[in-house]
Amino acid sequence: MMRVSRKLRKWTATILDLPQDVVLDLPRITMIGGLQITVENHRGILHFSPHNLRLAMDNGELEVTGQDLIIRNIGAEEVFVEGKITGVQLHQKGQSN
Amino acid sequence: MKGTWVAMLRGYVWVKLVGGEAESFLNAATRDNVTLWDIAFTPSGELTFGIAVPDFFRLRPLLRKNGSRIRILSRHGLPFKMERLSRRKTFAGGMLAFVAAMFVLSMLVWNVKVEGGSAIPEEKIRQAAMAEGIYSMQWSFRLQDAASLSQRLSLRLPEAAWVGVDKKGTSITITVIDSTQPEKKVLENPRHLVAKTDAVITRIVAENGRPKVERNDRVRKGDILISGILGDEKHSKTVVSKGKVMGLVWHEYRIVSPLTTKANNLTGQSQERKYLLIGNRALQISGYGGEPFPLSQTRTTIQRKSLWNRVLPFGTMKESELEVTETEKRLTPAEAKEAGLAQARAELLGKTGRDSTIRAENILHEHTENGKVLLTVLFEVEQSIEVERPIL
Repeated sequence: MMRVSRKLRKWTATILDLPQDVVLDLPRITMIGGLQITVENHRGILHFSPHNLRLAMDNGELEVTGQDLIIRNIGAEEVFVEGKITGVQLHQKGQSN
Repeated sequence: MKGTWVAMLRGYVWVKLVGGEAESFLNAATRDNVTLWDIAFTPSGELTFGIAVPDFFRLRPLLRKNGSRIRILSRHGLPFKMERLSRRKTFAGGMLAFVAAMFVLSMLVWNVKVEGGSAIPEEKIRQAAMAEGIYSMQWSFRLQDAASLSQRLSLRLPEAAWVGVDKKGTSITITVIDSTQPEKKVLENPRHLVAKTDAVITRIVAENGRPKVERNDRVRKGDILISGILGDEKHSKTVVSKGKVMGLVWHEYRIVSPLTTKANNLTGQSQERKYLLIGNRALQISGYGGEPFPLSQTRTTIQRKSLWNRVLPFGTMKESELEVTETEKRLTPAEAKEAGLAQARAELLGKTGRDSTIRAENILHEHTENGKVLLTVLFEVEQSIEVERPIL
Protein backbone atom coordinates (compact mmCIF):
# COMPACT_ATOMS: atom_id res chain seq x y z
CA MET A 1 0.00 0.00 0.00
CA MET A 2 2.75 2.40 1.03
CA ARG A 3 4.69 1.56 -2.09
CA VAL A 4 1.68 2.22 -4.28
CA SER A 5 1.02 5.67 -2.83
CA ARG A 6 4.70 6.50 -3.07
CA LYS A 7 4.81 5.48 -6.71
CA LEU A 8 1.67 7.45 -7.41
CA ARG A 9 3.14 10.56 -5.85
CA LYS A 10 6.34 10.21 -7.79
CA TRP A 11 4.40 9.73 -10.98
CA THR A 12 2.30 12.87 -10.27
CA ALA A 13 5.45 14.83 -9.57
CA THR A 14 6.97 13.89 -12.91
CA ILE A 15 3.76 14.41 -14.84
CA LEU A 16 3.01 17.82 -13.31
CA ASP A 17 6.66 18.85 -13.28
CA LEU A 18 6.58 19.62 -9.54
CA PRO A 19 9.72 19.87 -7.42
CA GLN A 20 10.38 16.52 -5.81
CA ASP A 21 10.87 17.87 -2.29
CA VAL A 22 7.40 19.32 -2.17
CA VAL A 23 5.73 16.12 -3.19
CA LEU A 24 7.94 13.48 -1.67
CA ASP A 25 8.76 15.23 1.60
CA LEU A 26 12.49 14.94 0.96
CA PRO A 27 15.08 17.12 2.64
CA ARG A 28 15.94 20.27 0.77
CA ILE A 29 19.50 21.46 1.18
CA THR A 30 20.49 25.01 0.34
CA MET A 31 24.15 25.84 0.50
CA ILE A 32 25.76 29.24 0.10
CA GLY A 33 29.39 28.82 -0.84
CA GLY A 34 31.23 27.11 1.94
CA LEU A 35 29.73 29.42 4.52
CA GLN A 36 26.13 28.55 5.15
CA ILE A 37 23.91 25.53 4.75
CA THR A 38 20.20 25.28 5.36
CA VAL A 39 18.57 21.89 5.64
CA GLU A 40 14.80 21.70 5.54
CA ASN A 41 12.80 18.61 6.44
CA HIS A 42 15.38 17.06 8.70
CA ARG A 43 14.50 14.53 11.34
CA GLY A 44 16.74 15.57 14.21
CA ILE A 45 20.37 15.82 15.14
CA LEU A 46 22.38 12.66 15.47
CA HIS A 47 25.71 14.20 16.25
CA PHE A 48 27.08 17.66 16.64
CA SER A 49 30.62 18.86 17.13
CA PRO A 50 32.56 21.85 15.73
CA HIS A 51 33.85 19.64 12.91
CA ASN A 52 30.95 17.40 12.18
CA LEU A 53 27.19 17.56 12.09
CA ARG A 54 25.03 14.57 11.33
CA LEU A 55 21.36 15.08 10.70
CA ALA A 56 18.76 12.34 10.50
CA MET A 57 16.64 12.14 7.37
CA ASP A 58 13.71 10.00 6.26
CA ASN A 59 15.88 7.36 4.67
CA GLY A 60 19.41 7.86 5.81
CA GLU A 61 21.48 10.68 7.17
CA LEU A 62 23.21 13.85 6.07
CA GLU A 63 26.71 14.57 7.21
CA VAL A 64 28.16 18.06 7.14
CA THR A 65 31.86 18.32 7.79
CA GLY A 66 33.82 21.52 8.35
CA GLN A 67 35.38 23.72 10.97
CA ASP A 68 33.85 25.96 13.64
CA LEU A 69 30.36 24.83 12.79
CA ILE A 70 27.63 26.81 14.54
CA ILE A 71 23.93 26.05 14.45
CA ARG A 72 22.58 29.51 13.96
CA ASN A 73 19.02 28.46 14.21
CA ILE A 74 17.17 25.23 14.74
CA GLY A 75 13.53 24.46 14.36
CA ALA A 76 11.39 21.35 14.03
CA GLU A 77 11.75 21.43 10.26
CA GLU A 78 14.82 23.45 9.54
CA VAL A 79 18.47 23.76 10.54
CA PHE A 80 20.65 26.69 9.59
CA VAL A 81 24.36 26.06 10.01
CA GLU A 82 27.28 28.43 9.59
CA GLY A 83 31.00 27.84 9.54
CA LYS A 84 33.72 26.66 7.17
CA ILE A 85 31.92 23.85 5.42
CA THR A 86 34.20 21.43 3.65
CA GLY A 87 31.88 18.58 2.79
CA VAL A 88 28.33 17.40 2.60
CA GLN A 89 27.63 13.70 2.32
CA LEU A 90 24.43 11.74 2.02
CA HIS A 91 24.35 8.26 3.48
CA GLN A 92 21.44 6.10 2.32
CA LYS A 93 19.98 3.83 4.95
CA GLY A 94 21.71 0.47 5.12
CA GLN A 95 24.47 1.37 2.70
CA SER A 96 27.06 2.89 5.06
CA ASN A 97 27.72 3.20 8.80
CA MET B 1 18.51 35.17 16.58
CA LYS B 2 15.13 35.73 15.05
CA GLY B 3 14.03 39.37 14.93
CA THR B 4 16.70 41.01 17.03
CA TRP B 5 14.47 43.63 18.59
CA VAL B 6 11.83 41.08 19.55
CA ALA B 7 14.56 39.11 21.27
CA MET B 8 15.76 42.28 22.99
CA LEU B 9 12.23 42.99 24.18
CA ARG B 10 11.68 39.51 25.60
CA GLY B 11 15.21 39.27 26.94
CA TYR B 12 17.60 36.45 26.23
CA VAL B 13 20.48 34.67 27.91
CA TRP B 14 23.68 33.04 26.77
CA VAL B 15 23.81 29.63 28.26
CA LYS B 16 26.39 26.86 28.69
CA LEU B 17 25.31 23.25 28.83
CA VAL B 18 27.12 21.19 31.46
CA GLY B 19 26.96 17.42 31.37
CA GLY B 20 24.59 15.16 29.45
CA GLU B 21 24.51 14.47 25.78
CA ALA B 22 24.31 17.52 23.52
CA GLU B 23 22.58 15.83 20.56
CA SER B 24 19.73 14.36 22.51
CA PHE B 25 19.22 17.66 24.28
CA LEU B 26 19.04 19.51 20.97
CA ASN B 27 16.58 17.01 19.52
CA ALA B 28 14.40 17.24 22.62
CA ALA B 29 14.48 21.02 22.45
CA THR B 30 13.46 21.11 18.78
CA ARG B 31 10.72 18.63 19.45
CA ASP B 32 9.32 20.91 22.16
CA ASN B 33 9.59 23.91 19.85
CA VAL B 34 12.10 25.61 22.09
CA THR B 35 13.98 28.04 19.91
CA LEU B 36 17.73 28.01 20.35
CA TRP B 37 20.22 29.96 18.31
CA ASP B 38 23.94 30.24 17.66
CA ILE B 39 24.56 26.76 18.96
CA ALA B 40 28.32 26.23 19.07
CA PHE B 41 31.01 24.43 20.95
CA THR B 42 33.57 26.27 22.99
CA PRO B 43 37.18 25.18 22.49
CA SER B 44 36.87 23.28 25.78
CA GLY B 45 34.02 21.24 24.28
CA GLU B 46 30.99 22.75 25.98
CA LEU B 47 27.83 23.58 24.11
CA THR B 48 26.78 27.24 24.24
CA PHE B 49 23.64 28.77 22.81
CA GLY B 50 21.27 31.68 23.11
CA ILE B 51 17.73 31.27 24.40
CA ALA B 52 14.84 33.64 25.04
CA VAL B 53 13.87 34.10 28.68
CA PRO B 54 10.35 32.60 28.45
CA ASP B 55 11.83 29.55 26.69
CA PHE B 56 14.53 29.26 29.33
CA PHE B 57 12.02 28.22 31.96
CA ARG B 58 10.53 25.59 29.64
CA LEU B 59 13.99 24.07 29.42
CA ARG B 60 13.98 22.71 32.99
CA PRO B 61 12.13 19.39 32.45
CA LEU B 62 14.21 18.69 29.34
CA LEU B 63 17.40 19.18 31.29
CA ARG B 64 16.26 16.92 34.06
CA LYS B 65 15.41 14.20 31.56
CA ASN B 66 18.78 14.59 29.87
CA GLY B 67 20.73 14.68 33.09
CA SER B 68 22.50 17.91 32.33
CA ARG B 69 22.69 21.28 34.00
CA ILE B 70 22.85 24.77 32.64
CA ARG B 71 24.99 27.76 33.45
CA ILE B 72 24.08 31.28 32.42
CA LEU B 73 26.96 33.15 30.78
CA SER B 74 25.38 36.55 30.15
CA ARG B 75 21.99 38.25 30.18
CA HIS B 76 20.69 40.64 27.54
CA GLY B 77 17.55 42.53 26.70
CA LEU B 78 14.95 44.74 28.25
CA PRO B 79 13.84 42.68 31.30
CA PHE B 80 17.38 42.59 32.62
CA LYS B 81 17.92 46.26 31.84
CA MET B 82 14.76 47.12 33.74
CA GLU B 83 15.88 45.05 36.67
CA ARG B 84 19.24 46.79 36.73
CA LEU B 85 17.47 50.11 36.49
CA SER B 86 15.18 49.29 39.38
CA ARG B 87 18.26 48.61 41.43
CA ARG B 88 19.50 52.15 40.74
CA LYS B 89 16.78 54.01 42.56
CA THR B 90 18.14 57.53 42.22
CA PHE B 91 18.73 57.12 38.50
CA ALA B 92 15.21 55.87 37.91
CA GLY B 93 13.95 58.63 40.18
CA GLY B 94 15.86 61.18 38.15
CA MET B 95 14.33 59.92 34.96
CA LEU B 96 10.87 60.14 36.45
CA ALA B 97 11.61 63.57 37.85
CA PHE B 98 12.79 64.73 34.43
CA VAL B 99 9.58 63.59 32.78
CA ALA B 100 7.53 65.16 35.55
CA ALA B 101 9.46 68.45 35.37
CA MET B 102 9.07 68.50 31.60
CA PHE B 103 5.35 68.00 32.01
CA VAL B 104 4.99 70.66 34.67
CA LEU B 105 7.11 73.21 32.80
CA SER B 106 5.12 72.62 29.64
CA MET B 107 2.02 73.65 31.53
CA LEU B 108 3.44 77.08 32.29
CA VAL B 109 3.12 80.12 30.10
CA TRP B 110 6.67 81.02 29.20
CA ASN B 111 6.40 84.21 27.24
CA VAL B 112 3.81 86.75 26.32
CA LYS B 113 4.30 88.60 23.03
CA VAL B 114 2.49 91.76 22.03
CA GLU B 115 2.04 92.30 18.31
CA GLY B 116 0.08 94.44 15.93
CA GLY B 117 2.09 97.66 16.04
CA SER B 118 -0.52 99.46 18.05
CA ALA B 119 -0.19 103.03 19.22
CA ILE B 120 -1.24 101.86 22.69
CA PRO B 121 1.93 101.53 24.74
CA GLU B 122 3.01 97.93 25.23
CA GLU B 123 3.21 98.50 28.98
CA LYS B 124 -0.48 99.30 29.11
CA ILE B 125 -1.37 96.21 27.09
CA ARG B 126 0.77 94.09 29.36
CA GLN B 127 -0.88 95.56 32.43
CA ALA B 128 -4.31 94.80 31.05
CA ALA B 129 -3.16 91.28 30.19
CA MET B 130 -1.72 90.87 33.69
CA ALA B 131 -5.08 91.86 35.16
CA GLU B 132 -6.69 89.13 33.06
CA GLY B 133 -4.09 86.64 34.25
CA ILE B 134 -1.92 86.53 31.15
CA TYR B 135 1.68 86.74 32.33
CA SER B 136 4.73 84.57 32.07
CA MET B 137 5.05 81.75 34.62
CA GLN B 138 1.29 81.51 34.87
CA TRP B 139 -0.30 78.06 34.80
CA SER B 140 -1.84 77.43 31.38
CA PHE B 141 -4.84 75.69 32.87
CA ARG B 142 -5.74 78.74 34.94
CA LEU B 143 -6.25 80.78 31.78
CA GLN B 144 -9.62 81.03 30.19
CA ASP B 145 -10.08 80.11 26.56
CA ALA B 146 -8.66 82.45 23.96
CA ALA B 147 -11.99 83.81 22.73
CA SER B 148 -13.24 85.04 26.12
CA LEU B 149 -9.76 86.28 27.00
CA SER B 150 -9.61 88.44 23.89
CA GLN B 151 -13.10 89.71 24.57
CA ARG B 152 -12.24 90.74 28.11
CA LEU B 153 -8.95 92.26 27.01
CA SER B 154 -10.68 94.39 24.41
CA LEU B 155 -13.02 95.64 27.18
CA ARG B 156 -9.96 96.73 29.10
CA LEU B 157 -8.46 98.38 26.03
CA PRO B 158 -11.23 100.53 24.57
CA GLU B 159 -8.81 102.28 22.21
CA ALA B 160 -8.16 99.08 20.31
CA ALA B 161 -10.46 98.06 17.50
CA TRP B 162 -9.69 94.39 17.89
CA VAL B 163 -7.73 92.31 20.37
CA GLY B 164 -6.71 88.75 19.59
CA VAL B 165 -5.19 86.24 21.99
CA ASP B 166 -3.44 83.24 20.49
CA LYS B 167 -1.94 80.50 22.63
CA LYS B 168 0.63 78.28 20.97
CA GLY B 169 2.32 75.81 23.25
CA THR B 170 3.91 77.78 26.05
CA SER B 171 3.75 81.20 24.42
CA ILE B 172 0.87 83.60 24.13
CA THR B 173 0.62 86.21 21.41
CA ILE B 174 -1.61 89.21 21.98
CA THR B 175 -2.43 91.05 18.77
CA VAL B 176 -3.84 94.53 19.16
CA ILE B 177 -5.20 96.39 16.16
CA ASP B 178 -5.89 100.10 16.49
CA SER B 179 -9.03 101.70 15.27
CA THR B 180 -8.09 103.86 12.31
CA GLN B 181 -8.04 107.58 13.05
CA PRO B 182 -8.08 110.43 10.54
CA GLU B 183 -4.74 111.80 9.48
CA LYS B 184 -3.54 114.70 11.54
CA LYS B 185 -3.36 118.03 9.73
CA VAL B 186 -0.34 120.24 10.01
CA LEU B 187 -1.21 123.42 11.84
CA GLU B 188 -0.88 126.46 9.62
CA ASN B 189 -0.80 130.15 10.40
CA PRO B 190 -3.07 132.61 8.65
CA ARG B 191 -1.21 133.88 5.62
CA HIS B 192 -1.27 135.77 2.37
CA LEU B 193 0.02 134.55 -0.93
CA VAL B 194 2.29 137.18 -2.46
CA ALA B 195 4.19 137.48 -5.72
CA LYS B 196 7.63 135.98 -5.90
CA THR B 197 8.78 138.19 -8.78
CA ASP B 198 7.47 140.83 -11.11
CA ALA B 199 5.03 139.17 -13.46
CA VAL B 200 1.87 139.35 -15.54
CA ILE B 201 -0.86 137.11 -14.15
CA THR B 202 -2.12 134.46 -16.55
CA ARG B 203 -4.20 132.34 -14.21
CA ILE B 204 -5.36 132.65 -10.63
CA VAL B 205 -7.24 129.99 -8.67
CA ALA B 206 -8.03 130.71 -5.05
CA GLU B 207 -8.97 127.75 -2.90
CA ASN B 208 -9.11 129.76 0.25
CA GLY B 209 -8.81 133.51 0.79
CA ARG B 210 -9.74 136.43 -1.40
CA PRO B 211 -8.02 136.96 -4.76
CA LYS B 212 -6.68 140.48 -5.09
CA VAL B 213 -5.52 140.41 -8.69
CA GLU B 214 -7.00 139.33 -12.00
CA ARG B 215 -5.78 137.81 -15.20
CA ASN B 216 -3.48 140.10 -17.21
CA ASP B 217 -2.73 142.26 -14.15
CA ARG B 218 0.83 143.32 -13.77
CA VAL B 219 2.22 142.62 -10.30
CA ARG B 220 5.44 143.57 -8.60
CA LYS B 221 7.49 141.42 -6.28
CA GLY B 222 5.80 141.28 -2.87
CA ASP B 223 2.29 142.26 -4.04
CA ILE B 224 -0.51 140.34 -2.36
CA LEU B 225 -2.12 137.92 -4.79
CA ILE B 226 -4.54 136.09 -2.53
CA SER B 227 -5.38 137.81 0.71
CA GLY B 228 -5.83 135.92 3.96
CA ILE B 229 -8.03 138.65 5.48
CA LEU B 230 -11.75 138.27 4.90
CA GLY B 231 -14.36 140.92 5.61
CA ASP B 232 -14.19 144.66 5.83
CA GLU B 233 -12.29 146.81 8.27
CA LYS B 234 -14.85 146.40 11.06
CA HIS B 235 -15.51 142.69 10.81
CA SER B 236 -12.52 140.80 9.62
CA LYS B 237 -11.18 137.34 9.96
CA THR B 238 -7.82 135.92 8.98
CA VAL B 239 -7.62 132.63 7.10
CA VAL B 240 -4.98 130.42 5.63
CA SER B 241 -5.07 131.41 2.01
CA LYS B 242 -4.45 128.73 -0.53
CA GLY B 243 -4.36 128.74 -4.26
CA LYS B 244 -2.44 128.67 -7.45
CA VAL B 245 -1.25 131.75 -9.32
CA MET B 246 0.52 131.50 -12.65
CA GLY B 247 2.25 134.42 -14.27
CA LEU B 248 4.53 135.37 -17.11
CA VAL B 249 8.02 136.13 -15.87
CA TRP B 250 10.97 137.42 -17.90
CA HIS B 251 14.37 135.95 -17.43
CA GLU B 252 17.45 137.37 -19.13
CA TYR B 253 20.16 134.88 -19.84
CA ARG B 254 23.75 135.36 -20.91
CA ILE B 255 24.94 132.26 -22.71
CA VAL B 256 28.52 131.40 -23.62
CA SER B 257 28.75 128.42 -25.95
CA PRO B 258 32.13 127.13 -27.22
CA LEU B 259 32.65 126.27 -30.89
CA THR B 260 34.72 123.19 -30.11
CA THR B 261 33.66 120.41 -27.82
CA LYS B 262 35.67 117.54 -26.55
CA ALA B 263 34.25 114.07 -26.26
CA ASN B 264 35.67 110.81 -25.01
CA ASN B 265 35.16 107.79 -27.21
CA LEU B 266 35.90 104.17 -26.56
CA THR B 267 38.18 102.59 -29.17
CA GLY B 268 37.12 99.03 -28.46
CA GLN B 269 40.52 98.01 -27.18
CA SER B 270 40.39 96.60 -23.69
CA GLN B 271 42.33 94.62 -21.20
CA GLU B 272 40.83 92.42 -18.52
CA ARG B 273 42.17 91.77 -15.11
CA LYS B 274 40.75 89.18 -12.80
CA TYR B 275 41.03 89.10 -9.05
CA LEU B 276 40.14 86.64 -6.37
CA LEU B 277 38.47 88.28 -3.41
CA ILE B 278 39.03 87.02 0.11
CA GLY B 279 37.49 89.25 2.71
CA ASN B 280 38.33 92.75 1.57
CA ARG B 281 41.56 91.77 -0.12
CA ALA B 282 41.97 91.13 -3.81
CA LEU B 283 44.50 88.78 -5.34
CA GLN B 284 45.23 89.42 -8.99
CA ILE B 285 44.98 86.27 -11.07
CA SER B 286 45.28 87.42 -14.67
CA GLY B 287 45.96 90.51 -16.76
CA TYR B 288 49.43 91.42 -15.60
CA GLY B 289 51.49 93.79 -17.69
CA GLY B 290 50.85 97.28 -16.44
CA GLU B 291 48.50 99.76 -17.96
CA PRO B 292 48.69 99.52 -21.72
CA PHE B 293 46.65 102.59 -22.65
CA PRO B 294 47.53 106.26 -22.16
CA LEU B 295 43.88 107.14 -21.60
CA SER B 296 41.47 104.62 -20.22
CA GLN B 297 38.31 103.96 -18.29
CA THR B 298 38.09 101.14 -15.80
CA ARG B 299 34.92 99.18 -15.20
CA THR B 300 34.77 96.93 -12.20
CA THR B 301 32.32 94.13 -11.51
CA ILE B 302 32.36 92.26 -8.25
CA GLN B 303 30.71 88.92 -7.78
CA ARG B 304 30.44 87.57 -4.28
CA LYS B 305 29.64 83.94 -3.65
CA SER B 306 26.53 83.40 -1.67
CA LEU B 307 25.10 80.41 0.06
CA TRP B 308 21.39 80.38 0.90
CA ASN B 309 20.95 84.16 0.86
CA ARG B 310 24.11 84.63 2.87
CA VAL B 311 27.01 86.44 1.26
CA LEU B 312 30.28 84.66 1.77
CA PRO B 313 33.59 86.52 2.09
CA PHE B 314 34.82 85.02 -1.18
CA GLY B 315 34.29 86.15 -4.69
CA THR B 316 35.79 87.30 -7.91
CA MET B 317 36.40 90.77 -9.24
CA LYS B 318 36.75 91.59 -12.91
CA GLU B 319 38.29 94.84 -14.00
CA SER B 320 38.21 95.77 -17.64
CA GLU B 321 40.28 98.68 -18.76
CA LEU B 322 38.83 100.25 -21.90
CA GLU B 323 40.94 102.46 -24.11
CA VAL B 324 39.63 105.94 -24.61
CA THR B 325 40.45 108.51 -27.25
CA GLU B 326 39.58 112.11 -26.96
CA THR B 327 37.95 113.56 -30.05
CA GLU B 328 37.43 117.21 -30.68
CA LYS B 329 34.29 118.27 -32.44
CA ARG B 330 34.01 121.57 -34.28
CA LEU B 331 30.65 123.20 -34.33
CA THR B 332 29.32 125.84 -36.66
CA PRO B 333 28.18 129.05 -34.92
CA ALA B 334 24.56 128.04 -35.52
CA GLU B 335 25.06 124.66 -33.88
CA ALA B 336 26.88 126.22 -30.96
CA LYS B 337 24.05 128.69 -30.50
CA GLU B 338 21.43 125.93 -30.52
CA ALA B 339 23.41 123.90 -28.01
CA GLY B 340 23.75 126.92 -25.73
CA LEU B 341 20.05 127.71 -25.98
CA ALA B 342 19.07 124.13 -25.25
CA GLN B 343 21.20 124.13 -22.15
CA ALA B 344 19.80 127.45 -21.02
CA ARG B 345 16.20 126.20 -21.48
CA ALA B 346 16.87 123.10 -19.42
CA GLU B 347 18.50 125.14 -16.69
CA LEU B 348 15.66 127.62 -16.63
CA LEU B 349 12.93 125.01 -16.38
CA GLY B 350 14.85 123.31 -13.63
CA LYS B 351 14.93 126.54 -11.69
CA THR B 352 11.35 127.69 -12.17
CA GLY B 353 9.59 124.46 -11.28
CA ARG B 354 7.77 121.60 -12.87
CA ASP B 355 4.61 123.35 -13.95
CA SER B 356 6.40 126.10 -15.82
CA THR B 357 6.54 126.45 -19.61
CA ILE B 358 8.60 128.67 -21.86
CA ARG B 359 6.23 130.91 -23.79
CA ALA B 360 8.72 132.87 -25.86
CA GLU B 361 12.40 133.51 -26.30
CA ASN B 362 14.05 136.54 -27.85
CA ILE B 363 17.69 136.71 -28.74
CA LEU B 364 18.71 140.23 -27.85
CA HIS B 365 22.35 140.03 -28.77
CA GLU B 366 24.55 137.55 -30.65
CA HIS B 367 28.31 137.73 -31.02
CA THR B 368 31.09 135.29 -32.00
CA GLU B 369 34.43 135.85 -30.39
CA ASN B 370 37.56 133.80 -29.41
CA GLY B 371 35.99 130.52 -30.56
CA LYS B 372 32.84 131.14 -28.50
CA VAL B 373 29.34 132.24 -29.27
CA LEU B 374 28.06 134.85 -26.82
CA LEU B 375 24.29 135.24 -26.56
CA THR B 376 21.92 137.33 -24.54
CA VAL B 377 18.44 135.83 -24.53
CA LEU B 378 15.21 136.93 -22.93
CA PHE B 379 12.93 134.06 -21.97
CA GLU B 380 9.28 134.55 -21.22
CA VAL B 381 8.24 131.82 -18.81
CA GLU B 382 4.85 131.00 -17.44
CA GLN B 383 5.42 129.80 -13.91
CA SER B 384 3.79 129.74 -10.53
CA ILE B 385 4.64 132.95 -8.75
CA GLU B 386 2.89 132.68 -5.40
CA VAL B 387 4.82 132.52 -2.12
CA GLU B 388 3.46 132.40 1.41
CA ARG B 389 3.71 135.31 3.79
CA PRO B 390 2.27 134.99 7.32
CA ILE B 391 -0.16 137.58 8.60
CA LEU B 392 1.28 139.09 11.74
